[in-house]
Amino acid sequence: MEAMQPTLRNGRNVWDQINMPAHEFHERVRKVREKMQEKQMDVLLAYGNAFNDYANPCYFSNYVIRLPRGALVAIHKEGEVVLFFEGASRGLSSAKKTSCVEDVRPCPDVSRGYTQYLKEKGLTPSTVGCVGLKQLMPHYQRKLLTDALEGCTLINADPMIREMRMIKSIRECDQIRRSSRIVKGIINFLPDISFPDMNERAVEASIIREARFEGAEDVRVLFGRPQEPKWALRPSEETFIERGVAVIVYLAVAYERYWSEGIRTFNTMENSFSFPDLKKTETLYGELTKRIKPGKAISQCYEETVGEIQKSGRDYIAEYGLGEGIGLSLNEWPILDKKATGNLEEGMCLTLRMCISDKNMGAVMIGNTFFTSKTGLEALTI
Amino acid sequence: MKELSVNQDHAKLHKVIALLKQKDLDGLIIYSGGTCSILRPSYLHYFSEFKPMGPRNAAVISKSGNIGLLVEPKWDEVRASRKSWIRDVRGTSDFLDDLLKLIRQLGITGSIGVVGSKEMTHNVYTTIEKQAELVLADDIVEEIAREKTPRELEIVRATSGIADIGFNAFLEKARVGIREYELAAEMEFAMRCAGADDIFILLSSGKHNFEMHEPRDRRLEKGDVLIGEITPVLEGQFIQLCRTVVLGEPTPLLRQKYEILVRALEETLLEVKAGVSAAVIAKAMNRVISEAGYAEYCYPPHMRARGHGFGAGSIAPGGAIDEDTRANLERDQVVVIHPNQYLPEVGYLACGETYLITDTGVEGLSETETRLYVKEG
Repeated sequence: MEAMQPTLRNGRNVWDQINMPAHEFHERVRKVREKMQEKQMDVLLAYGNAFNDYANPCYFSNYVIRLPRGALVAIHKEGEVVLFFEGASRGLSSAKKTSCVEDVRPCPDVSRGYTQYLKEKGLTPSTVGCVGLKQLMPHYQRKLLTDALEGCTLINADPMIREMRMIKSIRECDQIRRSSRIVKGIINFLPDISFPDMNERAVEASIIREARFEGAEDVRVLFGRPQEPKWALRPSEETFIERGVAVIVYLAVAYERYWSEGIRTFNTMENSFSFPDLKKTETLYGELTKRIKPGKAISQCYEETVGEIQKSGRDYIAEYGLGEGIGLSLNEWPILDKKATGNLEEGMCLTLRMCISDKNMGAVMIGNTFFTSKTGLEALTI
Repeated sequence: MKELSVNQDHAKLHKVIALLKQKDLDGLIIYSGGTCSILRPSYLHYFSEFKPMGPRNAAVISKSGNIGLLVEPKWDEVRASRKSWIRDVRGTSDFLDDLLKLIRQLGITGSIGVVGSKEMTHNVYTTIEKQAELVLADDIVEEIAREKTPRELEIVRATSGIADIGFNAFLEKARVGIREYELAAEMEFAMRCAGADDIFILLSSGKHNFEMHEPRDRRLEKGDVLIGEITPVLEGQFIQLCRTVVLGEPTPLLRQKYEILVRALEETLLEVKAGVSAAVIAKAMNRVISEAGYAEYCYPPHMRARGHGFGAGSIAPGGAIDEDTRANLERDQVVVIHPNQYLPEVGYLACGETYLITDTGVEGLSETETRLYVKEG
């Protein structure tokens, strides 16, 4: 789900090779080269930028973008993988420490960086697989790159990488479990705390501090006040939180590149939060999770879960979406939608959000991160 | 889609309309990809006074003064309507289609100026390009942002106060055993509690630092030199402090070398005022450091920029001030001046702060003194 992006990824930046060893990346490169061969690609260019869309280059390198800039991984059919990142050469040491790629090149612009690389190596690819170039790369950079690749056949390789990223490896699932542990811990920590200043900014600051101490790389927080006449989730404001009101808290945490998300609805006391009695809502949410199983069409999962909510007589608030894949990005495939194609598969990690109207609280929202096992959804944030 | 709104009586809108007429443009698109960068103005945030969150957002203005704001995600319309002075706010789940509709509804048929085009992806740029002739027009917002309002200066000062609070937390919480990322978390917490919208922190620790970077797992040790770039942002306005703290008694050599940087800063400030070239900052600083015997370390790959501008609508005189910078300094520009320097004997040291340029010199915005700080324990 969308949330305010930071100006810098301020949190802990390490590459823990026990959690995510180099061979995991080498294996991804090996697999993608097999796919490239099938499609007769000479090179695959995986582009990403800023804080929401670093996944494509990160998937092959572990390099995470920490500023609103771009990065590009070039995988030629043989030879070294090359990582280009936009920034000064002083960032090289940090990039090398946190990435599995040996050939790392800082540059003011990744399009120019790659073009120079081709000249330097005397390479003239004829078929280029493009990942993220159309949707994410700034227009002027893409033009520069496509002009430089004039005469080459450009192939949209987004579906190929999307398919690879949708099914998580055991190590990827473990990383999502780690970020989920932080989300779960903070959700449970909120009612235990007394806030001297019951202000959205102060509450957010405490949540972020707690997450950072657990090693969070990035933290996103949104608040919702569903009893207000016109409400929506939003970033924190310099606003006092009164006693006896409903507050929805959205929390997403990235740990060593991988995201997890959780949403809860709280009641407020004098200087603290409490969990309201939401047994019926929680039971309904539990029923939804049973409808989502591997082997089922994703569109069917959507229809059945939304149908289940409607059957309960509660109004479904569809604006925030039912959920989607989660991993190196907060918004991945598959998207739980009636138009979705394909089946749910074992190994996918998903978010599932339920936002429904409530006569006392205005609206109630619950959201969690799940692992799709052989038998169904395993909750990681409950 | 909503009905067209009436024209809004807003100073920024009037200025934009005047510039559209002057440049013979039929309309203007001010675009944002939803990120906020320390080295790039946030044009849409500055103009609309709403900080966008989604990946595609735009204000569209006709030369007759009609205006609409389009935001993603759709549900963020509630916040945008409350925050922005623009009355016609539309949340969208089909950005390109709704953008074209808005352009048509506002009666824009001729050339359209584009502000923030560097944030536009291929799909966005080419879709608009099919409808109208596009003219790059970042200079329109840069121009209206040149003159700071009293409210903007108030934000500059408030952000400076937050940076001081961040430094105090840096000094107070630094101790043997704390990890770099925990120290950064404490600084962030202090600045957020003081009202910062967001924080930019680079931090490094060790006996000999080579760069400032994002925080890592390293635990601080006695004798460590801690360097930090502390940069809170409030309403799009950044303020930066560059500070060095030693855990335990510094060596006489370190004190002596740090004094070179303090002297470089002091001597630079004597030459800075509105009307002079921004390059004097780099030239003066490099002169002092070169005279101390470190000329080769004043230039790439060791050092490059000696400062940069900050601002929501414009970062003039630029995102990197070096000896080749051509722009002149102007009154009320907010500029960080930092003789941060790698010195082979003691490593990378951080020194510098943010100033407001005046007609006669500079106004220091920080309450904390520029010196080498010592933290016992």
